[in-house]
Amino acid sequence: MSSNDVRDMLDLPDSGSTRPAKKQKLTAPRPVLKGLAREIQNLSGDNPIAIVPEVSAFKKKRYGSRKPVAKWEQKPFKNSARDGDPLVLRHWRRKEEKPPAPPVGEDGNVEMEEAVAPIAEEMVEDSTFAKYNVRVNVPEYTEEEYNAKLQNQDWTKLETDHLVGLAYEYDLRWPVIWDRYEPPLPAPDSADSLLGLVLPPKIRTVEDLKARYYSVAATMMAERKPPIKMNSAEFNLHEVMSNFNPAIETARKKFAEAAFQRTKEEAREEESLLLELKRILARSDKLNEERRELYARLEAPPSTGNIGIYSSSQGLQQLLQQLMQASKKRKSLMGSEGISPAAGPSQQASFERRDSSVRESISGPSGSNNNKKGPPPGPSERRQLTEEEEKIYGVSHHERIGASGAAFRHEKISKPLISKSSVQQTKIANVLVELEIPNRLIMPTVEVGEAYESLLQSINTLLDARKLADKLDGEIKLARQQKEEREKAARLERGEAVEGDEVEGNNKTEKEKSVARSVRGGSVARSVRGGSQGHKRSASVLSATSEQNFQRSKEYRLRH
Amino acid sequence: MAPPNNQKRMKGIQVFRPFVFGSTAKLFDPITNPKPPGTPEDHTHSWTVFVKGVDDTDITYWCRKVQFKLHESIPNPLRTIENINPGTPFQVHETGWGEFEINIKLYYTPESLEKPQTFYHHLRLHPYGLTEAEKDAMKLLPAIVSHCYEEQLFNEPYEQFYNMLTSPVERGKGKGTKMMKGGMVGSSGERTALIPLTSRPDQPFSRETEKLEIKRLMEAKAKIQVMNASAQEELKAKEDELKRLKAELKGIVA
Repeated sequence: MSSNDVRDMLDLPDSGSTRPAKKQKLTAPRPVLKGLAREIQNLSGDNPIAIVPEVSAFKKKRYGSRKPVAKWEQKPFKNSARDGDPLVLRHWRRKEEKPPAPPVGEDGNVEMEEAVAPIAEEMVEDSTFAKYNVRVNVPEYTEEEYNAKLQNQDWTKLETDHLVGLAYEYDLRWPVIWDRYEPPLPAPDSADSLLGLVLPPKIRTVEDLKARYYSVAATMMAERKPPIKMNSAEFNLHEVMSNFNPAIETARKKFAEAAFQRTKEEAREEESLLLELKRILARSDKLNEERRELYARLEAPPSTGNIGIYSSSQGLQQLLQQLMQASKKRKSLMGSEGISPAAGPSQQASFERRDSSVRESISGPSGSNNNKKGPPPGPSERRQLTEEEEKIYGVSHHERIGASGAAFRHEKISKPLISKSSVQQTKIANVLVELEIPNRLIMPTVEVGEAYESLLQSINTLLDARKLADKLDGEIKLARQQKEEREKAARLERGEAVEGDEVEGNNKTEKEKSVARSVRGGSVARSVRGGSQGHKRSASVLSATSEQNFQRSKEYRLRH
Repeated sequence: MAPPNNQKRMKGIQVFRPFVFGSTAKLFDPITNPKPPGTPEDHTHSWTVFVKGVDDTDITYWCRKVQFKLHESIPNPLRTIENINPGTPFQVHETGWGEFEINIKLYYTPESLEKPQTFYHHLRLHPYGLTEAEKDAMKLLPAIVSHCYEEQLFNEPYEQFYNMLTSPVERGKGKGTKMMKGGMVGSSGERTALIPLTSRPDQPFSRETEKLEIKRLMEAKAKIQVMNASAQEELKAKEDELKRLKAELKGIVA
């Protein structure tokens, strides 16, 4: 499209130039303007587009908005990291009138120079680098804490103090600490000097120093804040410090040194040996695989099925086909999973053909030698797990499980409690609260469940004992009353005859009976105690008879 | 999937899987925990209720989905979470002002042929504990955490499911296997019933915790036994006294 076409479209008068002439012009080399689409360039036709790149504008502007030269001055400063050193140095800073200087200035222009003129104290500012003077946090401990937690046969408190001091002074730079470590001599009144012996200072390696320092630091850290409450960064630090092992560290250094010292030839030899090892391992892996397969084949139980059908040539043909199928299957099985293919393929192949009655006869024996517990597991082979695997996968065997299906451990653990009467429940709950055992177990695992159960049992025993004690108290009270009455009666009898004697006698016998009964009831309760926990609380001795009946019926139920 | 009657239950076998459920609640705070726009005026906390594996292990191979039944006052109270990435929790985020019981329903994988099971969790927004000291300690924490350990039991699982539970996770599907953090020993991938040996700040459930709990229970039992012994002695003394009284009674009668 050319300008002519545009003119045409807009009904503008022709500019006069003819098409062929323009064609010629188009072919002529044109100044190529970069950064413009071809179509737009073409639109302009013969006259080039007037786009003048403004090159000089930037420079001019810069000259135009020139500011007066920034003023700099030498300013004094001090460094608070110098531990109270009154030294004052000066550096070049921008003058204050202007808005704050760019930070580049202070970095690039710091010039340490002796202060010459005395400067007013309030003028002196602190160095911006003072904040980088960070001291390490070394563990702090008091005398009691040291005696309680940090005692160590190998280290005296003096030595530990010295070590911690050095660690602080040299910012945990261990080689330096090791170099400067000079254990202070024990005080003259200490036990060692009393013996007249001056022990030579122990020679300690960097690892010894580190081990001591880390153990102290970790102990104090745990002391200040229990590990369970630390955030993860603190916890990781604590873990690292408490797991420091000087022996491993020494071995590592030795190894590194040896690796550093070895010659070129040794390095090359090692490399080739490693390659060799890799090859050997690969080969042994392959060998193991083959051996496993072989064993799997050998382990296949001998078929107890009828071989009569294979006696004919037709039967043999069938067998061959089965075997082919079986070997195909075996391959796919071996590839995917580590399931032992013992008896799997060959039997499966035969299952496809045989009727169900034959299947039963075969799965019987194979089930019994693969399965210790429970009935034989049907045609698909159950994977036999090792003890370790059972632990990993949380598999356990039980004589009988109440209900099959999904359940939750905590419910199961708390079931014996829930199945009791509400009176009993509240009693047990009260005891548990007294013992500060929370309502919900924190970790309802198997072991915790067992512990909980045995605790509940002993609580039950205690509650039963208490109940029995209450009952006995009642009986004792009653017996005392009776005794008093008897004595009174006896005294009366001896003194003068009372008309109501006969009535009282009747009373007595009745009471005696009830006492005897309740005693029997008590002994029954004692004998049944532990096994049964459901007896109702008897409020008084007088209800003993009903309780006795209850016990009897219970006994009866137990017996039958 | 094969119809249920095609499969047999594994008699006398129980498989368990540990998991953790619970809630974490945070008070709204203009700086640390700002209210998201659109939150009702009276809501004071943001909270999360979750079900996940111990040590963030995968549980999706036995737990297909989890349904959280929240309080009726919350819009759309029945929240069903499924198709999560293995190793991440089934969780619901919400805001609110009150505590209530959350009904949590676990749906198992189809292979298990098990019916969904329900348990409860009490949503905690405020410091709790038996003693005031415990509550005070909790006030200092950045969030109110109420996590519970639980073990999912599969009593007599179906064979197919049993095989799934007891075989290691298939590897080599391009996804790198995650290493356990808590010093776990085990070479069978993530489908284990093992729990970490030691606790870490955000993973409080471990063998260590279990031992502590057993120890506490045993101490309690020892206490009870001491009480028991004294109670028995008392009993004996009382029986003797009763006998003596009876004998005296008889003496008087005779």
